[in-house]
Amino acid sequence: MGPLLYDCGFAREIYALEDGAQIKRCMQCGACAVSCASRQEMEPSPRGLFSLIRAGRKEDVLNANTFWVCTSCCACRVRCPRGIDILGVMHELQYYYLKSGHGTGSRAVFHRTFWQELRSRGRIGEAGVMLRCWLKEGALTRAVLMSLEMKGTGLNLLRHRRLSLFPRKIKGLTGLNRIIDKAMAQQGYRE
Amino acid sequence: MAAKTGVYLCSGCGIGEAVDIAGLRRVAEKDRRVALVRESNFFCGRDAGWIQRDVGDGAVNRVVVAACSPRFYGAVFDCSPDIPVVRVNLREQVAWCHEPGCEDTLMLAQDALRMGLARAAGAGVTQPFLLADPSKTILVAGGGLAGMTAALEAARAAFRVILVERQEFLGGWLRNVYRCAPVGPPYTELAENPVPLLSREVADHPGIEVCCGASIERTAGGPGMFDVTIRQGERLRQERVGAIIVAAGARPYDPAKLTRLKNLGYGTNPDIVTSPCFETLALEGGGRVARPSDGREVRRVAFIQCAGSRDPNHLPYCSAVCCGETLKQALYLLEAAPDSIVFIYYRDLRVHGREEHFYRRVQEAGAIFIRSEVLNVAVRGGSLSVEADDIFLGCRSRTEGLDLVVLATGMVSGSGGGGLAEGVLNLDYRQGPELPALKYGFPDSHFICFPYETRRTGIYAAGCLREPMDLAATLDDAAGAALKAIQCVEMTARGQAVHPRALDQTYPEFNLSRCTQCKRCTEECPFGAINEDARSNPLPQITRCRRCGTCLGACPERIVSFKDYSVSLISSMIKAVEVPEEDGAKLRVLIFACENDAYPALDLAGAGRMRYNPWVRIIPLRCLGSLNPVWIADALARGIDGVLLLGCRQGEDYQCHFINGSELARTRIMNISETLDRMGLEAGRIRVIEVGIMDYARIPDILDGFVKDLAVLGPNPLKGF
Repeated sequence: MGPLLYDCGFAREIYALEDGAQIKRCMQCGACAVSCASRQEMEPSPRGLFSLIRAGRKEDVLNANTFWVCTSCCACRVRCPRGIDILGVMHELQYYYLKSGHGTGSRAVFHRTFWQELRSRGRIGEAGVMLRCWLKEGALTRAVLMSLEMKGTGLNLLRHRRLSLFPRKIKGLTGLNRIIDKAMAQQGYRE
Repeated sequence: MAAKTGVYLCSGCGIGEAVDIAGLRRVAEKDRRVALVRESNFFCGRDAGWIQRDVGDGAVNRVVVAACSPRFYGAVFDCSPDIPVVRVNLREQVAWCHEPGCEDTLMLAQDALRMGLARAAGAGVTQPFLLADPSKTILVAGGGLAGMTAALEAARAAFRVILVERQEFLGGWLRNVYRCAPVGPPYTELAENPVPLLSREVADHPGIEVCCGASIERTAGGPGMFDVTIRQGERLRQERVGAIIVAAGARPYDPAKLTRLKNLGYGTNPDIVTSPCFETLALEGGGRVARPSDGREVRRVAFIQCAGSRDPNHLPYCSAVCCGETLKQALYLLEAAPDSIVFIYYRDLRVHGREEHFYRRVQEAGAIFIRSEVLNVAVRGGSLSVEADDIFLGCRSRTEGLDLVVLATGMVSGSGGGGLAEGVLNLDYRQGPELPALKYGFPDSHFICFPYETRRTGIYAAGCLREPMDLAATLDDAAGAALKAIQCVEMTARGQAVHPRALDQTYPEFNLSRCTQCKRCTEECPFGAINEDARSNPLPQITRCRRCGTCLGACPERIVSFKDYSVSLISSMIKAVEVPEEDGAKLRVLIFACENDAYPALDLAGAGRMRYNPWVRIIPLRCLGSLNPVWIADALARGIDGVLLLGCRQGEDYQCHFINGSELARTRIMNISETLDRMGLEAGRIRVIEVGIMDYARIPDILDGFVKDLAVLGPNPLKGF
């Protein structure tokens, strides 16, 4: 493989996003990477992702799981010596990904399903999210196969009352949806 | 005047519990020079007046205070200048670190008192060395930022200043600089070049005499009496000044040498330039930079840091300013055209202190920082490209289409050669015309304690001549050097040592009638304080002297002495130690401890209540360099079983306050160990150990280990002769 070529076009596109300009401040210390609660799953770390953005590696950035695995725990935000709102950047990148027409990937599907579940019930039911997700990904067959594969976990969760097969809706769901709609309209996001 | 010694025995702070005071009183009363003995447990407070009263009554003319370490309560026990005060350290070095009530502890305390009595008996009254007409003028060599700031600081403190600049104009290096890195809050914006304003202020100040286009032909004399010959064109003039600040600056690393760094391509393409060259381009273009090859304005630029720096084949050190300079230059481009693309290749971005804010500012302006090792700079498709081992991406990376590549080069002190500021002062010293340099051509000084002091007393280095530094640091540095110069002229006028033995009024006196012209003192003096006449007689220049006593240690004829410190005085202290006659029962070890680090370390061991062997007897020395080998002979002839020398670390990162005292001591010991062999004494009876002040925890191991090794050798065979 030849040397990687720096291309400033993509970096400038990201810097132009509302929270994207903060990435410029990153000094690559790696405090975010070591603070991350999901660092086992995350590839690359926020630090690595920022250096890819800087180098203009658009494909590598969009294929990264960084902003999907992020649980918004805020540990990186708290520790960043440059005060970068890494959370904000991660959300920004999620929307950038969805907007740039990558909506068919499994992570995008999960993202949509998650919101769908939230909108319809006002809370997240694990069983509901997973079923919806599998149905979208590969219709009924996948839903059945995956359910069978996960049945041990599911049964254990049920036994300990950690999982509800028929989660109830929250009170005032319409109100919650109105709040979300308003917030999204203000930020200019679409689902 | 007959000696009338007053002995003040303190029993406070645990001394009374550890030592039988009556036993000490017996020792004092046996000495016929002792006029009176007083006991108290609170001499440093309630009963402090006793000493002053006895002195005032004329009952005593020498004072021995057997209490705490001389490092404490100096002001309480000091009497008038003509009364020698000797402190016997019973607290830190006896009571706190030895078995209370034990026979050995008492013997140790009694020996300490005997040594103190001997010291008091031998001490003379010091008259300060006063110059007839000491000059308080301060000469500043160099009219750059450091020189001008130092001149202004000194002039504002109402000292007359002469500023000598080699070029026709003030300003130095900064004259060729477009803008400066920020020096004030918010530390994010480029600062105007301070030179025009500063040079006007300097030129207008009534206390500063500016000599531009001038050089110094010769510098003779010493602090308070430097005779400087200044040449301005054809005109020569003579000035007498008190102290000198050298701020001759640094120069950029020779670009011709960069051509040896083949991968950076310097010299192969006109668009690969050094950072000083970039600065000139920016100055000419008023912030816009035209490419040298075709004059087009540059839009894509790569800066490469550490070009020839931190490289064992070029400059092995970091020049401290190049990172800041690059940030500044990147901002020129990004401010002139915000869509410019700037890559900065760096190894470590060394921006310290508040420059961090500036770093952030340049990041936010859009510069792209690439931590990497640059592999090569090449021409690719008509423009430049840089290939590097990218540490953040973990692979090789390349930037292309560059209009200009800037190599950030470091700085070199002085003007080459071995000496610092070669040809600037032209000192008329026996040791040569230059200030000695330590490493990389920067001045030799005690980096931690005395950063401004060079190895020539009264001559202070400031600015980039002293070490590479940025603007803000230079301003502080110049002010610091000015304060040091002021301290020097003031203390010299009062006849006191300047540093490190500030306020010391004693000075070495030479009994020249016995001098054999062996030149050891003139050669070994670390500060060039002793000149020579045509017949090789030493000509001591007292105001240059730092009172370390190296000459005293060097002189084989023992002709050098201070009023309170001489060969015979220390010998009399050695002879005051009582050596038990019986074979092998109790060994006696003499410790010569450097006052600056080893003695405080011994105190700290005591303060930490560490226990060590009570057979040791401690004599503080001004510096281990003042150790005269005759003392070793005295000690061994007296039957003392071993001699331990505790001094500072030597070598490249030496800690000696007087440069090479411990090194000299080691050499002298090596020289006498052959003689010892001939006398049938083992060389192992003498040991030199390096102790820093923070090594106090090692003290018990060092002392006990030495005593143990001596026990193996057995008692000194000369005992009882």
